[in-house]
Amino acid sequence: MARGGGYFKTTYAADLALVDTRLRRRALAAFVVALLVLPRVASPFILDLVAQTALAAIGALALNLLTGLAGQVSLGHAGFIAAGAFTTGVLIENGVRSPLVALPAAAVVGAVLGIVVGIPALRLKGLYLALGTLALHHVVLYACAEFQNHWGANTGVSIPPPAIGPWVLKGAVAWYYTLTLAAALVLALSVNLRRSRAGRAWMAIRDREIAAESVGIDVARYKVLAFVWSSAITAVAGGLFAYHRAFVSVEAFGFFLAVEYIAMIIIGGLGSALGAVLGAAFVTLLPHGLDALVAGLRLSGGAAYYLFPLKFGAFGLLMAVFLLFEPQGLVGIWRRVRNWFALWPLRYRPLRSAS
Amino acid sequence: MVLTIDGLTLEFEGLHPLTGVSMSVDDGALAALVGPNGAGKTCVLNCIGGFYTPKAGRIRFGGAMIQGLAPHRIAARGIARTFQFVELFRGMSVLDNILLGRHRHMRSGLLAGGIFWGRSRREETLHRRRVEEIIEFLELERYRTELVASLPFGVQKLVAIGRALAMEPTLLLLDEPSTGMNREEKENLARFLLRIKHDLRTTMLWVEHDMELVGDLADTVTVLDFGRKIAEGPPAEVLRDPLVAEAYLGRAYVRERGAG
Repeated sequence: MARGGGYFKTTYAADLALVDTRLRRRALAAFVVALLVLPRVASPFILDLVAQTALAAIGALALNLLTGLAGQVSLGHAGFIAAGAFTTGVLIENGVRSPLVALPAAAVVGAVLGIVVGIPALRLKGLYLALGTLALHHVVLYACAEFQNHWGANTGVSIPPPAIGPWVLKGAVAWYYTLTLAAALVLALSVNLRRSRAGRAWMAIRDREIAAESVGIDVARYKVLAFVWSSAITAVAGGLFAYHRAFVSVEAFGFFLAVEYIAMIIIGGLGSALGAVLGAAFVTLLPHGLDALVAGLRLSGGAAYYLFPLKFGAFGLLMAVFLLFEPQGLVGIWRRVRNWFALWPLRYRPLRSAS
Repeated sequence: MVLTIDGLTLEFEGLHPLTGVSMSVDDGALAALVGPNGAGKTCVLNCIGGFYTPKAGRIRFGGAMIQGLAPHRIAARGIARTFQFVELFRGMSVLDNILLGRHRHMRSGLLAGGIFWGRSRREETLHRRRVEEIIEFLELERYRTELVASLPFGVQKLVAIGRALAMEPTLLLLDEPSTGMNREEKENLARFLLRIKHDLRTTMLWVEHDMELVGDLADTVTVLDFGRKIAEGPPAEVLRDPLVAEAYLGRAYVRERGAG
């Protein structure tokens, strides 16, 4: 096993390992070290971009559990984020400032909303389910707006930095580590679910419901569980979002946010945890990339005025392009590149079709 | 008796796919269920599996009545099935498909699976071992990590049988396993059916169109026509029954041949 090639394995445990070759172990170690030392070399702006990406990745990974694994389309994802953010906001308005209370509370609110939308979702499929979850999004936003107008300040709720005892989470570096760690935990959860019983049951429901029933999977239970887990994690992401932005306002959780999350998992590659992370990075960094592009082109003032609609258009266009030409998303491109290098200079089909 | 069906009647808004069907399957038997197209064979399997709720009649399995239970509860009692059009999990590998057959024997939930440490990890390797035994049994080694959607139809049929066997069922319901198979694949299937019967001692209820296979392999044959049972018994007798020939070939043809 000293120089495991990835194809030759002697135990089932080795076959289940996520990081199975020496090259992959080294690449992972290098990546972790790079993340650890990044604050020493990067500017606060870059760190904030990575932190935003990590936060988006938590939401995207959670949506991927629901849509990518369990096959349940949801347009209500922004609603769950709003629910988590406003749970934090409501608690702070009422004097509960500890994130140790606020984040679990957000998870519970998310889980309850997951049950609320998950049970009717048992009777809805595809487009109808998408519209049903969209309805939930509107209901949650309405509730949040009511709170904002009647109890909070009209424009939104200011959130003080989260503090546990004397320790206060503040500054780009602290947020960078916190959010990256949180995203890493959700990523580990996602990849582990994919290779274990419960995640497999979700994928079975996604692929063929009637066959899932025939092997003894309680389809209704697992569908509701998918909603509960996905929305609980998403709501925690919403709580983190509130703390990170230091401000909660209902305008931040509109329909466009839901579309952004759908875009992340589609552009990244539906059903893949790596894809969700890549998609989150892509969608988070795209506006900044477009900004840099426009700045680099040195257009006159009139052209920069059109930048805002350009961002919206770019999402729509990119989603359509990915759906048409690269249904496996960024992760599909990554696999092809990796296989090309693994096989170079030969051009045989890889032995394993998916991994 | 592993399975006893008594007066099974099914009705869909004026249609009567099954009328008063009674039959039973002995412990360890390979029982064939045959009949012309639309006779109600798959309906019987769907009633046993809980996919249809019969209007009347009783289905007794392992000492308890199971009619009207949800499909996953019936599966949990030890009834596995394959489908006429395979119904595999297309986006998953052969390995994962068969591992899903182990679902009812595994315990770890979402949290344990998400952490994947200790018990849930051991459970995965333990059941992987059982899956490998089935892969070997059905000679599917070379397809282990392939996506099922990319496999030939005959192989997909075997994967579906593998998934059902992984459940270690008391009763295996097979819905036309030989459909779409060529001669060689059918010969392999016959071999596997006999090995399931003799090595695994699994009781099977087998819906089949290929009368040659039924005649060679089945212990008993039950014949349905228009939702009613018209004959049952050992294959040698039943397949010679003029009523059966009539159901398959039509009255005029049988009379003509009988006269000539």
